[in-house]
Amino acid sequence: MNGPIRRLSVGIFTSFFVLLVAVTWIQVINADALKADPRNSRPALADRGKERGLIVTIDGVVVAQSVEDPDDPRSFIRQYPAGEAFAHVVGYNSFLVGSSGLENAHAGDLRSKRDLTISDLVTVILGRDLRPESVEMTIHSELQLAAYQALGGQKGAVLALDPRTGAVLASVSSPSFDPESLLGPDTATAWESLLADPDRPLSDRATREIFPPGSTFKTVVASAAVDTGEAEPSTVFPDPGQFELPGSTATISNAGGGVCNDGQGITLLKAFVVSCNTVFADLSVRLGAENVGITANALGFNTDIPFAWTIPRAAYPIEDLAEDDAALAQSGIGERDVRAAPLHMAMVAAAVANDGVTPTPYLVNRIFDADGNTVESFQPSPIGRAMAPATASIMSQMMERVVTEGTGRAAAVRGVRVAGKTGTSMGPDGLPNPWFIGFAPVEDPQIAIAVLIEGGGDLGESASGGAVAAPIAARLFEVWFQRSP
Amino acid sequence: MTRNAEGATIVAASVLAGFAVSLVNFARDRSIDAQIALTFLVFLMAFGGLHLAVRAFAPKATPLLLAPVAALTALGFFQVYRLDLALGTNRAGLQRWWILIGAGVAALTLALLARRSISVLRRYRNITLMVSFILLLLPNLPSDWGFPLRGLEVNGSRLWIILDVGFTSLQFQPAELAKLGLVAYVAGYLADHQRALREARRHLGPIRFPEPRQLIPLLVTWGISVLILISQRDLGASLLLFVGFVLLLYAATGTTGYLVTGTFLGLVAAVASFLAFGHVERRVLAWLSPFEHYQDEGYQIAQGLFAMGTGSLTGSGPGLGRPDLIPNASTDFIFAAVGEELGFAGTVSVLALFALVVTVGLGIAFRSRDTFRKLLAAGLTFVLAVQTFLIIGGIVRLVPLTGITLPFMSYGGSALVGNLILIALLLRISHEEAP
Repeated sequence: MNGPIRRLSVGIFTSFFVLLVAVTWIQVINADALKADPRNSRPALADRGKERGLIVTIDGVVVAQSVEDPDDPRSFIRQYPAGEAFAHVVGYNSFLVGSSGLENAHAGDLRSKRDLTISDLVTVILGRDLRPESVEMTIHSELQLAAYQALGGQKGAVLALDPRTGAVLASVSSPSFDPESLLGPDTATAWESLLADPDRPLSDRATREIFPPGSTFKTVVASAAVDTGEAEPSTVFPDPGQFELPGSTATISNAGGGVCNDGQGITLLKAFVVSCNTVFADLSVRLGAENVGITANALGFNTDIPFAWTIPRAAYPIEDLAEDDAALAQSGIGERDVRAAPLHMAMVAAAVANDGVTPTPYLVNRIFDADGNTVESFQPSPIGRAMAPATASIMSQMMERVVTEGTGRAAAVRGVRVAGKTGTSMGPDGLPNPWFIGFAPVEDPQIAIAVLIEGGGDLGESASGGAVAAPIAARLFEVWFQRSP
Repeated sequence: MTRNAEGATIVAASVLAGFAVSLVNFARDRSIDAQIALTFLVFLMAFGGLHLAVRAFAPKATPLLLAPVAALTALGFFQVYRLDLALGTNRAGLQRWWILIGAGVAALTLALLARRSISVLRRYRNITLMVSFILLLLPNLPSDWGFPLRGLEVNGSRLWIILDVGFTSLQFQPAELAKLGLVAYVAGYLADHQRALREARRHLGPIRFPEPRQLIPLLVTWGISVLILISQRDLGASLLLFVGFVLLLYAATGTTGYLVTGTFLGLVAAVASFLAFGHVERRVLAWLSPFEHYQDEGYQIAQGLFAMGTGSLTGSGPGLGRPDLIPNASTDFIFAAVGEELGFAGTVSVLALFALVVTVGLGIAFRSRDTFRKLLAAGLTFVLAVQTFLIIGGIVRLVPLTGITLPFMSYGGSALVGNLILIALLLRISHEEAP
């Protein structure tokens, strides 16, 4: 009888061994896939209530912090003391609706290393710190708050860079939202109403949305013209009241409706200063898509810009424009299919300010541990040279004249030499998108800015870049040069 | 291993239970309360008491069986306690009583058999059979009559009885005890008729089988019990009994035909129940593709897999996972709950402990000279092994989920009492067959 029992024993132990194999498959080989399954809420639940690192501005203002939950001493709640002005940059870390901004991009640094098991002890013995690391942004709090206030609730965005390094000094999108409203018990209601809001407060217009840049794109065209030798500031162009689009009966006219100068001729400088559409449509066709495209690409168009998060590509569709002169003429004034985010246009201003080298924008200065020691610091190398230093110098002079005597006079600041370019592109809803890009001071640029107001802002249909966007830039230059040390 | 070492190991298992409970407390509240002492004492009383009963009534029994059983009970209890905290239930308090009761009944079993030898079960096997049938039928008592003993229907299955005893009422699944009685009956019958059953004189095509009158009592017993269980919709227990019978029949006769016929009949029954019961079909779907049926049938299995996968090698730590996300974790899915909080280390330990219990059980069967004791030891071990395989295999998706409990670990008093009696019987056989 022991024979059959022995054979059954073999069967039983074989089946136990198969159990062991299955358990090994689930818990060792396939564990990561099961852990990462979006329907598995355990990893998210494990992070919930744990301490996260700080997010601070370069001038030391805390904009995100974890404090002990007064109702539950073992748990932490996240606070965003700076609120709406920082909402798109800092983002939120919500159990219900996920995370965004730097809270998402640097989740790995901000997350607590503590997991309350024996592995904590091992980590401590190995001399590692269990406390979460913190993120120091390049953003300057005064400038950021001033930008949010200057937008005054209008739909739009402000992006300011240090042209020498690419450090983002301010990145504001309006309207905004209170990130703490996505943490509490009313998260679902708050989330629904934010999604339903036609002004799209959750959307980051400064870095994640692209618009036609309008006449600010003339900076790119003029740079290409000077850099290729096609024209210089004194080159005289015809000054018609209308520019007939090649192969079409449609025309391009100027902002005032008439001629830009005297109807006879106009220099490139004057055309840039008064933002003459007919001249730049003409110039764009003369240069050709290839030549404008080389400069545009070096300024960051048609390129994936490395950033804290994925940003859309700024568009200047070279191949399409090479075959379509009418579209090429319209593109010369930043319309048709040309698109850029305020971030890209700030890079254009920064490249001119930085002797022709386009800086790579970055948002995080360094990661530091709980003792304040730097763990990792960031200083990306520039994207590349967009124009010769001499070209940048000429463009800088032309942009200064825009502010001293042209469309950008509202950007002027007493005691500071400001350079800039205005723009007013036409949105799909027929409402204008006023723009201003610029930098200061001209002799030693420290700040480059792009301002966009979507749909004309408070002025609506009659809005223009000079009237709506330029004053906001002036306000920011003022704040920057009067900032506390 | 000596008896003293067994005692020491049981103390260690009691410390394990108390320590695991205190880790859970500490992880959740940063404090340690009286639960640690209470749990330690309950385990010490239950398994220490059982250990003393073995010393008194079965001193020559193997010292290898009680310690792994105590360790498995401790691992299961810690998860039941831990799930209580998350779900706001109070099952651990009740389970502590059942551990004491189970150990007490097991000790009583040893004491009763001490003077009479286990052969009484062979001699009075017809009485055992009758008692088992009555136990199986008890849940069919009306649930609304005035008598203090009533049947109870839970989730469409009629497996429970309620006994009102004045101040409180006890719930019990009598099938857990009937299982032991039926195994004892079959072992007794086979011991008396094994020679006749081995001589397969009749032919039906290529299949040879013995005189029908030799098989009929077995078939009737088997048929009636399986029919009762199916009528109560306890398909897990019917499957367990069926497989147990077939394995025992093969063990007694060594005739491969029984295994082949049994497998064939099992498949027929499986197809029939698939067609007859809607919930069997749903369980098969959940088994084949739990993630495609995540919203309904597959949810429990998927959550179990998520729990074990998230636990990975070392687990989240006691009290730090979310095993409460698995439906019915403390009964059906205790193995996955252990896998989440103790990780691969925990699940391998559980498998190793079960393998040890089964090895010792089979060893007792091998070494037994008396046919009845050999078959009884083998049958009890088979039932334990098959039950373990069916439920863990269901959790890890080797077989469809059958909804039976994991011996010693799952929450549930009747199963614990039944399985501790099973261990007591194995200990008694081991004592009687000791050289």
